[in-house]
Amino acid sequence: MREKEFDVVIVGSGAGGGAVAAELGPLAATGARVAVLEWGPKVREQEFTGRELEMANRLYFDRGGVLTRDMSMTMAFGKGYGGSTVVYTGTSLTIPPQVVTRWNVPGLEAEDVLARSEKYLRQNNVHLLEEPLLNDNNRLFREGCRRLGWTVEQFPINVKGCLGAGLCNLGCPNAAKQGTNRVQLPAAERQGVQVVTNCKVERIEESACVVTVRNESFGEPSGWEPGEYRVKAKAIVVAAGAVNSPALLLRSRLPVELPALGCYFTAHPALILVAQHERPITNYSGHPKSFYCDQFAHSKRFLLETCMYFPFTTAKSLAGFGADHSRLMSGMDRLQMILALALDDSRAENRVTIDAAGNAVVDYRLSEPVLDALHEAMKASARIFFAAGAARVHAPAGSNFLIEASERHRIDELIPRSGVKPGKVSIVAAHLMGGCRMGTGRGDSVTDSWGRVHGVPGLYVADASLFPACAEINPYVTIMALADRVAEGVRNDLSAPPASRRAE
Amino acid sequence: MSVLGERQWRFLFCVASRVVPETRDLGEVERAAFRAIVEEALGERPASLQRQFRLFLGVVRWLPALRYLAPLDRLNDARQDAVLTALQDFPVALVRKGFWGLKSLVFMGFYGRNEAGDRIGYRPSARGNEKLRTAS
Repeated sequence: MREKEFDVVIVGSGAGGGAVAAELGPLAATGARVAVLEWGPKVREQEFTGRELEMANRLYFDRGGVLTRDMSMTMAFGKGYGGSTVVYTGTSLTIPPQVVTRWNVPGLEAEDVLARSEKYLRQNNVHLLEEPLLNDNNRLFREGCRRLGWTVEQFPINVKGCLGAGLCNLGCPNAAKQGTNRVQLPAAERQGVQVVTNCKVERIEESACVVTVRNESFGEPSGWEPGEYRVKAKAIVVAAGAVNSPALLLRSRLPVELPALGCYFTAHPALILVAQHERPITNYSGHPKSFYCDQFAHSKRFLLETCMYFPFTTAKSLAGFGADHSRLMSGMDRLQMILALALDDSRAENRVTIDAAGNAVVDYRLSEPVLDALHEAMKASARIFFAAGAARVHAPAGSNFLIEASERHRIDELIPRSGVKPGKVSIVAAHLMGGCRMGTGRGDSVTDSWGRVHGVPGLYVADASLFPACAEINPYVTIMALADRVAEGVRNDLSAPPASRRAE
Repeated sequence: MSVLGERQWRFLFCVASRVVPETRDLGEVERAAFRAIVEEALGERPASLQRQFRLFLGVVRWLPALRYLAPLDRLNDARQDAVLTALQDFPVALVRKGFWGLKSLVFMGFYGRNEAGDRIGYRPSARGNEKLRTAS
């Protein structure tokens, strides 16, 4: 096994790892050895083809369809240089202060998180898209909400030179989205941070990572020769995402008992909902996600967002099959889409574990409150679709495959709660959070409010797994804000004399 | 090595013809593309899941025999649809999830082909904003 030595190793290059890398760039510029170890490859510019299956294979774990253990939900999370920031839509919201207050992490103040979030909004060129660049799919959502008297807000997004390919979730073919692959990682590399791709961290040992480098058939080859390495570091920052960070710590046999490790996983379980208009609308051209409705976030625990997906993803999101299904699919240019997200409670039993081979396994039970929220979201979405002029709506829990506009006054009757059956209704998740939650002690948390793993000096976490409960918004800006704090803590800890370094 | 044997493939195509009726019209090349997509997706899954899938295919084929005294692929179209609808709404969640997995594979094989989008009005362009301007 070959050996490498660094001052700081960052595991993962998404929103968390990318932010830490950029923040430690100045340290690297003054001579510190900093490396980012990324499991996936750096996809070449010409490899962003926009083809659904091809890009899903290149940019996601399990092609974006990682199953929970009970197979009730699929989870999508990115892999490669930039992690999930390569495949999100770039919607950039700051966390509501009351959510941070509810998290109740001593030492973590909402003001601090918001101030750091603002920094990333500036860094990532976050702004509102101009009116002429909003497509019909988005405008119809806004119109529908307004006609119903519901609040509707525009998403700020982090693009520069967006040409409206509408392929954000397959990796922008125009390099417009300002993910860590475009902003923080290149900045870090310019300052001397080494980013090593195709490098899977197998486990963490005392002040070292054991890694395997294996090149893919696509993307740039790793900067390191294929093989196994032991990578020593004074500080190790785990930012591999809410599934892979807890899994990595679990297979690392840490020298402390951390009963909360892997627990309190949340996911914003979601439905992709579809309606059909009589005539073609603009939907797959232009940015796919411009508006959201949080009217029911508190009362019924769901959010609605605009979205536009691709043929296979759309097809599998519909309940039913056969001629009805084919007819609806046959006119993608007439479809309006809404993403409905349930705001799920954090429960200890929803957790990341590992199997005998050390692979991550997610135990997630769709609770009755979550299914209730998805049911209410389905009915609210149907009302928006009809208010926006849709001819017919597909509700996956509906008693009929389609609800016609003439039946719009019977929505409550035609979408029964009993129809929200896991397995029949396709439930997806892309906002994966928790598993290494922040807190005060080992009993119910994994790290302190600076991402320091309890009882393991030099080991940190810096990604969505830190969230003690769900974020109630699209999480990436908050991930970067927390990672920014972690980087500050790493800098402070490294500059402190060894004897004074914090050890619980 | 193929995850499914030839008999299982024939049965999968039978189910596919009910899930996406247009699969019956696929030419030889398109059918091969469909099969390659499904084969690749199945091949990446753990061996245990592959075994479960083969077992589930067997259940789908022979479950109707309890009522109709014949496997699914020997039933007429209406009865095949009735059986598949029953699987989708089955009281046991595991069966519903299995059917969701089966039909998702069929959708992947059919709608995941590069040429599928054009036929259903899905024609994205890297310069989508230009299309928006034209449309307005």
